[in-house]
Amino acid sequence: MTAPPPPGGTVFDIGYQRYTGAREGRGRGRRAVFKDGVRAAMGFGRGARAKFLPWTFVAILSFIGLIMALIAGAADRIGGPGTSDQLPSHGDFYGIASIILFVFAAVVAPELLCRDRREGVINLYLVRPLTGSDYVLARWSAFFTVMVAACWLPQFILLTGLAMGDPTPVQYLRDHWLDIPRFLAAGVVMAAYVTTLALLTASFTTRRAYASVFLVGLFVITVPFTAGSASEIGGTAGRWISMFNLTNIPVHVNDVIFGEASEITEGAPAGELPKMLLVAWYVLWTLGPGAVLWSRYRKLTP
Amino acid sequence: MSGDRAPVIRVDGVSRWFGSVVAVSDVSFDVTPGITGLLGPNGAGKTTLLRLITGLAATSSGTVTVLGEPVRDNPPLYGRLGVMSEHESVYGFLEGREFVELMGRLRGVRSLERAVDRAIALVDLADAQHRPMGTYSRGMRQRMRLAATLVHDPEILILDEPLNGADPRQRVHFQQLLKELAADGRTIVLSSHILEEVEQVADTVLLIVNGKLAASGGFRAIRAALNERPYHVRVMCDAPRKLASAVVTLDSVDAVNVDPDGAIVVLSRNVRDLQIELPKLAQAAAISLRRVEPLDDSLESVFGYLVER
Amino acid sequence: MRSVYRLTLRQLLGRWRLSIMTVLSALPVVIAVLATHSSSAPSVQEFEDVAFSTLLAGSIAPLVVLAIATAAFANEIEDKTLANLTLAAIPRWQIVLPKLLAVITIAAPFIAVSALLTSHIAFLADAKATLAVTVSAVVGVVLYSSAFVWLGLVTTQAIGVGLLYIVLWEGFFSRFVSGVRLLSIRHYSIAWMHGLDARRFAAPDHLGFTVAIITSAIVFGGFLLLSIRRLRKMDVP
Repeated sequence: MTAPPPPGGTVFDIGYQRYTGAREGRGRGRRAVFKDGVRAAMGFGRGARAKFLPWTFVAILSFIGLIMALIAGAADRIGGPGTSDQLPSHGDFYGIASIILFVFAAVVAPELLCRDRREGVINLYLVRPLTGSDYVLARWSAFFTVMVAACWLPQFILLTGLAMGDPTPVQYLRDHWLDIPRFLAAGVVMAAYVTTLALLTASFTTRRAYASVFLVGLFVITVPFTAGSASEIGGTAGRWISMFNLTNIPVHVNDVIFGEASEITEGAPAGELPKMLLVAWYVLWTLGPGAVLWSRYRKLTP
Repeated sequence: MSGDRAPVIRVDGVSRWFGSVVAVSDVSFDVTPGITGLLGPNGAGKTTLLRLITGLAATSSGTVTVLGEPVRDNPPLYGRLGVMSEHESVYGFLEGREFVELMGRLRGVRSLERAVDRAIALVDLADAQHRPMGTYSRGMRQRMRLAATLVHDPEILILDEPLNGADPRQRVHFQQLLKELAADGRTIVLSSHILEEVEQVADTVLLIVNGKLAASGGFRAIRAALNERPYHVRVMCDAPRKLASAVVTLDSVDAVNVDPDGAIVVLSRNVRDLQIELPKLAQAAAISLRRVEPLDDSLESVFGYLVER
Repeated sequence: MRSVYRLTLRQLLGRWRLSIMTVLSALPVVIAVLATHSSSAPSVQEFEDVAFSTLLAGSIAPLVVLAIATAAFANEIEDKTLANLTLAAIPRWQIVLPKLLAVITIAAPFIAVSALLTSHIAFLADAKATLAVTVSAVVGVVLYSSAFVWLGLVTTQAIGVGLLYIVLWEGFFSRFVSGVRLLSIRHYSIAWMHGLDARRFAAPDHLGFTVAIITSAIVFGGFLLLSIRRLRKMDVP
């Protein structure tokens, strides 16, 4: 309404403001996809319903860490200092919590990939200066960050609990400071593995539910099967069968980092194999799926 | 549009909110046999209102009565109601005919075969009826959904944007069909955001803007009513009083108010002329116009819809 | 009702789902075969504990049912086709019940055959024990189906919540907290097993058979009624 319409066809300027600011490139796009991934996974900026599942899992993991710390403190008080050294500690946490971490990833990871493909939103991302591999890398980083946080938080809770429970917290920390870089590294190991597998599964289907069930089904099938038959068969064959226990693959690396077998993997025949082999196996099972995931998204065009 | 018979659908003081978002705000109207068009911009609340009328959603306050009975939690009523929702998704694995049969069975249709044949013939899809609906084009899906809506010969039809994706030929066919159905005494409520669609078939129009009922009644009556209300147009310029005294001389202007913040509000019943003359006036008086905007929010959209022809 | 039943059957039968269910159901059988053919055969108690209590009732059965039951309504809600059914002139229970029966029709045979074969192998063709295991497995399927169909109606995150329930409640808490056993479908299923074949499966700390029958009926009926109520009250997309 700012000018009279000239005869024969008009385009009105209804005040649409042209963007005159800076236009940033791929890096900005990647960061945006990353940030959106973290928000989608943890339900930030969405209602309470979206927060329920992810935060429940975080709470459970933290709770496990807390319980471990409390039990250690109680054991020290009852049996004298040093009793708690026998109990599960940082090196065992990931083994104990692995099933929770896997279910967490199975339930939350599909949220980041499946929805976009189902609703066709992926095309909106791809018409930006953002390639398919940018997108999947940003999403991977987002979920990896979430998983690392979920792995580290309970460990820090455990550390705090153990230090507080000790009569001389500072001395405790000085004696056990090596645990910290160990559980940080093991956490990264765990997170990378879980993230890659979960996202790979999610990249094969557009319904979140199918991805979740498939992933959990995969673990439910392989874990008891390999555990059972490995101890039955024994010997080298048994060790190799035990290597296919998917939940233990990152835990073996955790054991390598901590230098001793954790509670969960103590009986696993695979633990008898040379350390380098276990680490290489882990790398295979993380990089392999990662490469497949990357190639699935690399060739996507809008 | 006579008022002496009981209305087929009565919407009484209906509101619906989702948290702090009000989708429908205190709407009341009656629907009688014939075609009623529900018109409004996207996001105005048409779909929510239709879902409230069909009982798919519950009202936050107010009541909806269809054929004298509450529509919510009243399954037997659906035998007389045919509903086509805005969602175009169907069971892709079902053949078109199977889908219509399923809908017919669920609504208790007797002599199903004949009813299905009739419905499919009405939408002219007899040659595609044995293909899975997943292979249909968008227009074909809409038409088969319409057939499913008509299979039980309902006396009331509620159609939410039924012409989405219809090509011009289908549109003409569809409008013809609707008129025939209405001529048999049925009550049809049809929603759209496209003026022409509604104008060509509807006897009565309900205009929804921002969740509120902005106008209702016959088309021409609404236009006439609108023409009698002056519109408020706010003008910001660098010499308000000077402009005001010039503007008040225009025929198209009813009155001018000067706001304390330096803007003037022009009341006019002929904004088209105002549009042409105001800039001329400003130019002649060497006043620069900084901003010209209508103050009637609801009329901004009504404006474009009903008056701009 | 038949139309909804048949429609749901067609909706839920898909290649991927069927393959996953077959593999999951085959697992206990394979373990049974391995266990009986190994030199260090586990005792009945151990075997029962692992194969049936943990594996079958605790994870395989609920997972299989979860995959199918949540889809019964959740898929319709996600695809926005549920209105096709709710706009029918039939009472709501005639929508919920056939869907529930379709879920059971699909899930039960897998679990039943799995249970049948597993116990047949493990207990060396002891008919009564086999029957007990199979019946209790089917009871478990029926109960899980009613619970997860309701879950699929109530939330879009049905799988996540269902998995939490399976892993945490059934898998963790019900082992260690005895009060939880009264609210655990897995334990009802086990109680049926013990109730049907007391001579082989009797154990003191499980629920009594009569109590289990009653609670099973209450759970099934309860979830069915909740589902019907939910369908009536909800806003259908």
